[in-house]
Amino acid sequence: MTILEMNNISKAFGGAIALSNVHISVEKGEIHALLGENGAGKSTLMNILTGVIPADEGSITFLGKEYPNPTIQQMEAAGIAFVHQELNVINDLSVSDNIFLCREIKTGLGLIDHKEQLKRTRQLFDDLGVDMDPSVMVSELKTSEKQLLEICRALYADAQLLILDEPTTSLSNNEIDHLFGILRKLRDQGKSFIFISHKMPEVFAISDRYTVFRNGQFVASGNISDTNPHEITSYMVGKQYADEKVYEPRPLGDVIVKLDGFTGKGFEDISLEVRRGEIVAFTGLAGCGASELMQTMFGALPSTGGSFSVNGKLLEGSIVSFMKNSVAMLPSNRKENSVVPDMSIMENFYLAEHEISKRKKPFINMKEELARYSAQKESLRIKAGDPSESISSLSGGNQQKVFLARWLNIGADLLLFDNPTQGVDVGAKEEIYKLILSFAQEGKTVIINTLEIPEIQKVADRCVVFYEGRIVKIFEHNEVNEHNVMMYSTNAIETIREAQ
Amino acid sequence: MNNSFGKRLGRVWSQYSYIFVLLIIMIGYAFTIQSNGNTFKFSHIAAVLGSQNTCIVGTIALGMAFVIITGQIDLSVGSSLVLCTGVTIMVFNMTDSILLMILAALVTGALCGLINGLLVGLGKMPPFVVTLGTMLIYRSLTLSVVRKIDPAISGSSSSQFAMISKKVNYNFLRMKFGTGKLKFGSFSIPYIFFVFLIVAILLIIVSRKTKYGKSVYAVGSNEKSARLAGINVTWVKISVFVLTGVLVGIASILQACKIGNVTPASSGQSYEMYAIASVVLAGVSMAGGKGNMLGVIFGALSYPTINFIIVSIPGLSVDIQDTFQGLVLIIVILIQTAGPAIKESFQRSRKRRLASAK
Repeated sequence: MTILEMNNISKAFGGAIALSNVHISVEKGEIHALLGENGAGKSTLMNILTGVIPADEGSITFLGKEYPNPTIQQMEAAGIAFVHQELNVINDLSVSDNIFLCREIKTGLGLIDHKEQLKRTRQLFDDLGVDMDPSVMVSELKTSEKQLLEICRALYADAQLLILDEPTTSLSNNEIDHLFGILRKLRDQGKSFIFISHKMPEVFAISDRYTVFRNGQFVASGNISDTNPHEITSYMVGKQYADEKVYEPRPLGDVIVKLDGFTGKGFEDISLEVRRGEIVAFTGLAGCGASELMQTMFGALPSTGGSFSVNGKLLEGSIVSFMKNSVAMLPSNRKENSVVPDMSIMENFYLAEHEISKRKKPFINMKEELARYSAQKESLRIKAGDPSESISSLSGGNQQKVFLARWLNIGADLLLFDNPTQGVDVGAKEEIYKLILSFAQEGKTVIINTLEIPEIQKVADRCVVFYEGRIVKIFEHNEVNEHNVMMYSTNAIETIREAQ
Repeated sequence: MNNSFGKRLGRVWSQYSYIFVLLIIMIGYAFTIQSNGNTFKFSHIAAVLGSQNTCIVGTIALGMAFVIITGQIDLSVGSSLVLCTGVTIMVFNMTDSILLMILAALVTGALCGLINGLLVGLGKMPPFVVTLGTMLIYRSLTLSVVRKIDPAISGSSSSQFAMISKKVNYNFLRMKFGTGKLKFGSFSIPYIFFVFLIVAILLIIVSRKTKYGKSVYAVGSNEKSARLAGINVTWVKISVFVLTGVLVGIASILQACKIGNVTPASSGQSYEMYAIASVVLAGVSMAGGKGNMLGVIFGALSYPTINFIIVSIPGLSVDIQDTFQGLVLIIVILIQTAGPAIKESFQRSRKRRLASAK
């Protein structure tokens, strides 16, 4: 049975066409993957479906009823729930208070009946197979649990169709498996999902059918079992997408980075040497300590023991002193840690370099800055208009390139990239991989921290696997594969050894 | 055609609303003067330029704008003005030296600001609470010592500090500079307005052309990103308080020269609120990260003009002026924030109508 039918949907913002004559249909009890690069129109379509913005043209039929002018309230009441990428749960309330937010159960006196709410939440969690304490504060939950909580909340409101917008971005592999288990169970109970994701393995692991958009137009749809990741990727990027090899072995220089018994918050006793021109990948489950290590190597977190040296110089102190010694870090979570939202592209670009040069040259020389920016813009192929435009006018991939430019602009030798392709679409990802390799060819040393193993296979000379704050294994380039890395990052290897 | 003109007007309004606000208020001022049977002359504008609310509050507002751009607030400026002016006048009365007096003003101001800054920056306390505390402390300290000081130093036997008129430099500071005007043919502009203007221009340059200025905006826009770009966020936060302190010091020199005295119990009352209001009228976002320093000049002029309008309307008591100031503030902000929302909902309902008509 088809529960959702959207036909001939068009939408333009000003002169820019966001959607042109697209359609999608979702069956009862299926997980439907909605795919496309950033800017393909997925979010616009979902915003139209949930009544956030009106369509210029087209029809929406949900559970047999037409909605010519949907409003947010109408669509919610009809049973469509949008689980956003940014979690909309309230940290300072308990789990059950969040579920009953705005529909609280009241006692005779008009006060909230916490006992009854807890009881019903427990019932709901039992039905869904969710293992969570309803009385705990949401701030104490893991990200995956918050995601689950939001889904449970929608289900309690009797949602029939749930839109999941990149629900796995901040989840570890274990957490993803947990989430997927519950999604499958709900699907079998007859709930439908629209699943938006960039990660191909996930799409193939969980979805039943798919629809692909490109540049605001419908491209293809069908059963997941009839297709393969290559075909889907080529639908998304248009031109025949070759999973081309970007990796190239290079001669490496002397050891320039030395970690010796380095210890800090979340990791301990890390010893590692990295050569000039080498690309090393850190990986492990979320919370394995690799990101914390990287931040400590940039002075953003304090170290508590051991030593870290670059070019033979011991580094400690403030972030600026690390920067002056040729270390740069592109932090994870671009929106929170890199973007200065009220500033232009140019201002976002030159901020970091100013911290090094401001003592000697306190004034901004616009001509010089423009020359530096244009050079980076050209070599990184940043697609941007006027540099005085707002940073938020750029797509995710181009924003990330501006931040790469920010760090190349300080002339650093050691580049630390924490999850550099997060929230970046497929095409731009490939470009970033190529750039990382070209930096290494120019003699820069690159360390990337990533959870995506295909990414490691594309760029890294070596792969360092972390488990609970310690290095458990270092792989050479040709030893890296999904299976090997997972064996160590989940510490399955230890379990097997113990069994023997 | 019509639509694009409307859009352009909307954009110009949102960027330069402070110019329109001042223009409208000035027209209102001209109108009331004319309806009183007088002709509106440049001297009326000169009166606004030279008023203590323009120059003294305006100078303070320039620092307040920096503090607000970093996403903080300073409530202590009115009280530090009283403290600074007290010290400034005493140093003058004791030494009769212009140089030492200026030095005392700047150092005292900077110290007041530094205390705020260190408590906020290193103590990691909310600026609202810290400066609320120092607001009470600075004024009360001044109030508690004023009567105990020898009148030969405080310059007055009542509860105030006053410049002693027998000093050699008194005439120059009070008559020539404090209340004097620079003549341009038929118009004249008070000297103290130029002090405000020069400080304003310097700070506009700092905000636009220096690397320090950009880091101030970055801290207010996204503190985390700013830190990870290498900016010493704590230092920037402390520095804007010290800057505000120095500007309060300059304002205290203007107070001493223009008014000649300061009364700890009543002078500088609510100046922090007037300064904040001028900054808001200038279009600076209270959330931090956004705002044009040029606007502060206009913001600082808008407020005193309202006072002049009220004073020139016969039968209207001065007591009502805060009501009008409050109303203007609310209306301007209403246009700035509610305007786009109203426009959007209007466009949406029109789209809906068009869609259903199809």
